Amino acid sequence: MSGTLIIPGDTIELGTESGETSIGPGITTNPKDQSIVYPSTAGLLKSISKRNKTIAYIEHNTKRYIPTIHDYVVGVVITVFGDGYRVSLANYSQPVVLSALGFPNATKKNRPHLKVGDVVYAIVSLVDRDVEVEIECIDPVTGKEGGFGQLNGGTLFDVKLAYARYLLFNSNAEILEAIVNKCQFEIAIGSNGKIWINTENVKTTVAAMNAIVESQQWKKEEIVKNVNKIFKDVL
Amino acid sequence: MTTSFNAELGILDRVDGSASYKFGATSLICSVSGPIEAKARQELPTSAALEVTIRPDVGVSSTREKLTEDKLKSVLGSVISTFLYPRQLIQVVVQILDAGEAPCYVVRELVGCINACYLALIDAKVGISESFYAKCVAIEQNTGKLILDPTDRDLTSSKSHHAVCFSLGNGKSKSLLYSESFGQFTEEELLKVLDFAAEAIEQENIGVRKVISEAVSNDYVWMS
Amino acid sequence: MFKGFEVSSNEQAFTLETLKSGIRFDGRKLEEMRDIDIRLGDEYGYVEVRLGNTKAIVRISAQLAVPFEDRPYEGIFQISTEISPMAGPMFEAGRQSIDEVLISRLVEKAVRRSGALDLESLCIIAGSRCWAVRADVHFLDYDGNFIDATCLAVMVGLSHFKKPDIAINGEEIVLFSTDQRDPVPLSVLHIPLCVTFAFYNPNDVEENIKGSSSGELILVDPTMKEEAQSLGSMTLTLNKNREICQISKAGGLPIDAPVIMDCCSIAYSIVERLTEKIKQLLKDDEAKRIDINVQRALSAANDR
Repeated sequence: MSGTLIIPGDTIELGTESGETSIGPGITTNPKDQSIVYPSTAGLLKSISKRNKTIAYIEHNTKRYIPTIHDYVVGVVITVFGDGYRVSLANYSQPVVLSALGFPNATKKNRPHLKVGDVVYAIVSLVDRDVEVEIECIDPVTGKEGGFGQLNGGTLFDVKLAYARYLLFNSNAEILEAIVNKCQFEIAIGSNGKIWINTENVKTTVAAMNAIVESQQWKKEEIVKNVNKIFKDVL
Repeated sequence: MTTSFNAELGILDRVDGSASYKFGATSLICSVSGPIEAKARQELPTSAALEVTIRPDVGVSSTREKLTEDKLKSVLGSVISTFLYPRQLIQVVVQILDAGEAPCYVVRELVGCINACYLALIDAKVGISESFYAKCVAIEQNTGKLILDPTDRDLTSSKSHHAVCFSLGNGKSKSLLYSESFGQFTEEELLKVLDFAAEAIEQENIGVRKVISEAVSNDYVWMS
Repeated sequence: MFKGFEVSSNEQAFTLETLKSGIRFDGRKLEEMRDIDIRLGDEYGYVEVRLGNTKAIVRISAQLAVPFEDRPYEGIFQISTEISPMAGPMFEAGRQSIDEVLISRLVEKAVRRSGALDLESLCIIAGSRCWAVRADVHFLDYDGNFIDATCLAVMVGLSHFKKPDIAINGEEIVLFSTDQRDPVPLSVLHIPLCVTFAFYNPNDVEENIKGSSSGELILVDPTMKEEAQSLGSMTLTLNKNREICQISKAGGLPIDAPVIMDCCSIAYSIVERLTEKIKQLLKDDEAKRIDINVQRALSAANDR
């Protein structure tokens, strides 16, 4: 992984090129003096330039999810109340709110009935430091279902966040392609590190799950060999 | 300079960040979870609450550990960017595996706690405004010589001992975050101790950076 | 079971399906224990145990103390099992949850009440002086089954620990440092080990209570995820002499007596294997120490 290592306390060079620079995750401004910009985590400094804008952020891998707007997430319903649900996105984190109206074509009378323990695939729709985070199951572009909603069957497991993001944004990631060669599967990847997977049968699901979890420690050239081994052991 | 410490990041599974830290006979493990849901009695409206627990190697925790917890909390409170996580909790636990000093001293333990916490916070990627690091120094009874990382035996034969924690900017000791002294010494000696510790911290920071760098590249094995 | 640790219905259904087909997530068989990794420290009585991802460290220490008034001929033995949030955020600092109390009681029963440590041998002068032995258990990482890991770690610790040698001069007790006289081991009478089983019910709950069909599934050494979904658990403590020290089953799914007998025989084969492993480990450690001592003696001679 390329990029320079930055640890808190280091000075970072921003806005060397012309145009605006926005700061992303891992870079913070001092609340007392917004002109002081400093790195708040250890990681690799990255910047993306598009047209005149530059976004600088620190790439870091964590276990603890902090909700960010427009993130795709997989959550578990933990309480049902009058007009919505409380959903857990990560163990021991503050739960988020999913309104009963946060589904396509839902009305006060016609709305989905979720139970405690159900799994949903949703998008983070509201993040504000002073109110509860909200998620919804509507595709913000089309206003339709777009793959969001309740996930039936299958199982859930956790990976580290940077890996989840990598799998989410690279649908042709080597590990997923290696598993495609073994079995058919449905997958929902959340930026919160939770992945839902469902395959033809229980054994292949266990194998696929173990392969994805363990592939966090594999180098690219080892993937095919290791996936073959895992599937052989289970079947 | 050979490294005088051993550290490893991410050794525990269930918590968000963890580190083991060992220097000389002192060895400890620190874990950090956060930001997680705070209990109602801990919740602060505009910033994260900090819960610090220190567990002794032998016996149950007593006022001695409570005092160290308080000291540690004052150091951590000044560097963690608590404003990033309102109404949440950052949970820090330090488990001492070997204090490496007689029970009447707490200097090695405190220094170990601070450094282990720093590494665990880095591993948990909890927002901190600066890096920080601590060292202990003793002044020898007769010669007045400064001893870095005094052993238990050095401590008993010293006239004073000091725990010094500096914040680090670009690998240089920046400002004094915490200092604690015990024994008899002059103002001049204290200033000397601070300078001495600041330099030692800078030296050791090279090794610490290496440990962090390894941990970060370990996080991205799948990219290579 | 654990506050804040959410298990979805999908996972519950899936776990039951996998167990029905006889597989577990980590590739183990149902009645197979995870690999146990035991590491002894340089100091006597320092033991690190890893059972899969469950990690615990035990430190044994001994001090001179005054015996309890009602037990003048016995020494004191204490086990401290306080779980800090280091093991996982579901454990609260300074407050014991029901699970924690259960864990510490079970370990207490398994080790102390089974008489694994000969308390009378800890007596120095009846009624006035004795050894107080402490086992401090530090839980580092929780992935299910603290009980088995703790019990094993405490027993290895006790077998490994050596207290300083003493001499009695009338009323005076002389303590020797390790350089002066070799320390002496504790008198461990037997090694009780725990094996924990988790129960699952693939059928209707009602059907099980009626007892007509009891097709319950039994697993050895559940992980945290398995524990969180089980309908009850049972801990058996036994030693390699086939003596059962305790059977503990606090509520949960009703289980038939013959099934418990089956569990006992599974547990026995595990305990037998573990005891062998512990003995070998202690023997190797002893040999290593003698080696080092011999070398030290030789190098001292060379210096002169």
